Amino acid sequence: MCAEKVLWLASLAVPPVAVLTAYTFGLRKRRFYSFAAMCASLLVPISAIPLAAELARATAPRFGVLSIVLIPFAAFLWFLAVIVTPSGRISEAGVARTAAACLLEMAAFAAVAPVPLTLAWIATSAILLAGHLDAEFAGAKRIIFAYLGLSVVLLTAGLIIASWARGRNAVLEQCGIALILLAVMIRKGIFPFHSWIPEIFEHGRIGPAARFNAPQIGTYAALVLAVPYADAGLMKVFAALALVTAVYGSLMAFYQNEARKACGYLFVSQSALVVAGLDIPGRGALVGALILWICSGVALAGLSRAVLSLEARRGRLRLDIHHGGYERMPLLAVCFLLMSLAVANFPGTLGFIGGEMLVRGAVDFFPSLGFFAIIATAVNGLAAIRMYFSLFCGKKDDGTHLKTSRAENLGFAAAALFLIGFGLAPGGLAKVFSRAETAATRIEGISTR
Amino acid sequence: MTGAALLRHCVFAALAAPALLLTVLALPSFLGRPWSEEHVGALTRAAFLTAFLALTAAGFLYAAGVRHPISIRLGDWFASEGGFVFDLLIDGWSLAFAALSVAICGVVSSFSFRYLHREPGFHRYFILLVCFVLGILLVALAGSVETLFAGWEILGLSSALLVAFFHERPVPVDNGLRVLTFYRVGDACMLSAAVLLHHWAGSDSLSLLFSGAGQQLSRLGPDKVAIIAILIVAAAAAKSALLPFSTWLPRAMEGPTPSSAVYYGALSVHAGCFLLLRSSALVQYSLATRFLTAMAGLATACYAALVGRAQTDAKSKLCFASLTQVGIIVVEISLGLDTLAFLHMCGNICLRLLQFLSAPNILHDLHELENDLGGNLEGGHAPPAIFGGALYLFALEKGFLDGLIDRRLAEPLERLAAFMEKFDRWLCRAPLAIFGDGDVR
Repeated sequence: MCAEKVLWLASLAVPPVAVLTAYTFGLRKRRFYSFAAMCASLLVPISAIPLAAELARATAPRFGVLSIVLIPFAAFLWFLAVIVTPSGRISEAGVARTAAACLLEMAAFAAVAPVPLTLAWIATSAILLAGHLDAEFAGAKRIIFAYLGLSVVLLTAGLIIASWARGRNAVLEQCGIALILLAVMIRKGIFPFHSWIPEIFEHGRIGPAARFNAPQIGTYAALVLAVPYADAGLMKVFAALALVTAVYGSLMAFYQNEARKACGYLFVSQSALVVAGLDIPGRGALVGALILWICSGVALAGLSRAVLSLEARRGRLRLDIHHGGYERMPLLAVCFLLMSLAVANFPGTLGFIGGEMLVRGAVDFFPSLGFFAIIATAVNGLAAIRMYFSLFCGKKDDGTHLKTSRAENLGFAAAALFLIGFGLAPGGLAKVFSRAETAATRIEGISTR
Repeated sequence: MTGAALLRHCVFAALAAPALLLTVLALPSFLGRPWSEEHVGALTRAAFLTAFLALTAAGFLYAAGVRHPISIRLGDWFASEGGFVFDLLIDGWSLAFAALSVAICGVVSSFSFRYLHREPGFHRYFILLVCFVLGILLVALAGSVETLFAGWEILGLSSALLVAFFHERPVPVDNGLRVLTFYRVGDACMLSAAVLLHHWAGSDSLSLLFSGAGQQLSRLGPDKVAIIAILIVAAAAAKSALLPFSTWLPRAMEGPTPSSAVYYGALSVHAGCFLLLRSSALVQYSLATRFLTAMAGLATACYAALVGRAQTDAKSKLCFASLTQVGIIVVEISLGLDTLAFLHMCGNICLRLLQFLSAPNILHDLHELENDLGGNLEGGHAPPAIFGGALYLFALEKGFLDGLIDRRLAEPLERLAAFMEKFDRWLCRAPLAIFGDGDVR
């Protein structure tokens, strides 16, 4: 048991240590060390997954059982960013910011208390803002400041009101929870607060925007701070809005002619699906949403990074023309296709399991609105595959500038294999999620309503 | 070892062979070290032969001893939270269709080795063909909704990617996306049917739909059965290009001829018919669904017969000829003539495969025929006399369906998206007014 406990704690400690170690190396060497560290920060937690549910409760200090998945997930996203971002699009300051954001996210994912979560929420928002301080991003900076500033205010106010009113005044407590949910809606881009995310992708910097949206701290905050305590009616409204957003985002992504903006809308749609799953009673939908969380995070981060890599070679990318170049970068094209298929919840990818479970749960809870999840999934897949056709198919382009580097190939292949590997063998992940402490709390909460 | 146990092993081997082949072909290509063409040929032949022999043996075992549908559980995909089961439902039809599919794909792969020799997308083509075999086997042998849906989606994707096979040209790519769009509509209908089945019946087992368990169906109630049946018919219609989904079929001819043969002449276009055949108990449960299915089949047969007469290229003519028969097969299913429909389907598959594969040689064959006859063949080029001008134009333009869908569906949605984009931009700037600046650039 002692050895198992050591493995469990190691699996929580290895990802942040790996990130810090990789960060201390110079930019040229960092890619190699990052790849090695990424493998370590995935393999150690994977080996501990079978123990996760049993050991999470017994460990001191107390961690959420989701930490075993979410901490390596955050580390993976950072490594992906460092490994695949072209040299011309990455600076030491940028790496420092993303490393700090990653460590903060890991701290947030390890926490089950509101204060560290709120601090991580504020700090990650500030880091996104810091990435847009240049004059050319002045518009994006104002948007970030306005929306994320408002979300911070609402979250803080909601937490203060809810914690004060808990046990004293049920109505006031629900008002506090509603404010927290509003903050989550803004941060995650749920209708009618969705429009800032595509704008940031279009007018801001795509790397930091993807890095900010992919880990979905807002989802974790909702899961820990709001979902267990929220009134069923409130959750129903929230879930319905999320399902509407999922369809809306997917349709908008399909009709976009700008690759960046399409990525933004895909983020909106996918994270809305995740939020909808969290708000629907029943453990199936919840587990599906959690699986979809990981899948969409990795897939959309990968797609955005691929767009960034292509932009470094070709400039801004439009989707109403065919760019070609498959012959010069077949591995990137195949990885892009596989990540698109994960967004489409295609069989054999992690998205298939998560999507199916979520859809079943959604239909069980909302017999009419639940089909929105099916429509969103279908259209998201079309949008992502349209991007693939536009970005990689078309006239032959033998330009040597299109050839991808070994680091890019390694990073994108790792992301694609992650999605396929866990898609073919999702047992461990599903087991952790189905026994998630927060999930249990929430189910108990609902049953006592 | 009993006959049933042997049969299980045979079916498992038939599924494992293409799955293993897919891994063996895809992994080296993914790593940038693809097999040589000779090795691809040898591996593909070995895998398809193994699968065919295994399915033939399973067929003999079934006919000789088992003779009743059996369910095979290959395992749980994962066990928690009502996880997914990997079930197969084995009966005479499923084994016959699976064996025929593997045989057809074997013939097509042999043809393709020469047809695509030194083609840049040689490996891509074979990986997609093996995906197709795996998909069609899953559809044929599926015993649970998840297995069926997985096979259904794999079929659709491999089909769309093969339509876009010559991806240097924009037209095949656009057509591939168009085909995929129609398939996604069908997939959404299929998933909706599956979810409703799970929601109302609490089961993912397809034996409820496939084995004609009338009592089990009647427990659901006529309305619920009708909704599930309509969704299944819609899914089948999208996959088999029945009206109003027929417009994707001629666009799909952009792919290489062998893939057109196996997909749109032979197997893929009949996958919807096979699904309807398997769920004929559901289709025939109520008069309304029977009528709907019959009308879809009849309208498609008339439409395809008319349009096919006016087409000017061999592949389009053949695909509409195939579609005419598909429509008639659907009518047969709606009338409860299941055995006739199955035989009709198998016959049409084999005939269209032969015609598609010989299409590239059509001029050569024509010249040989003329040499044998000792003179030029007459006729065949002018439109038939029964066509008036308007009817001919209707047939030549494939019923104006493409334009209708563009005008009534695609363009309004595009306009709506453009309007919503402007709305989003306004919505995004609204809070900035607080700071006295609405410019985001």
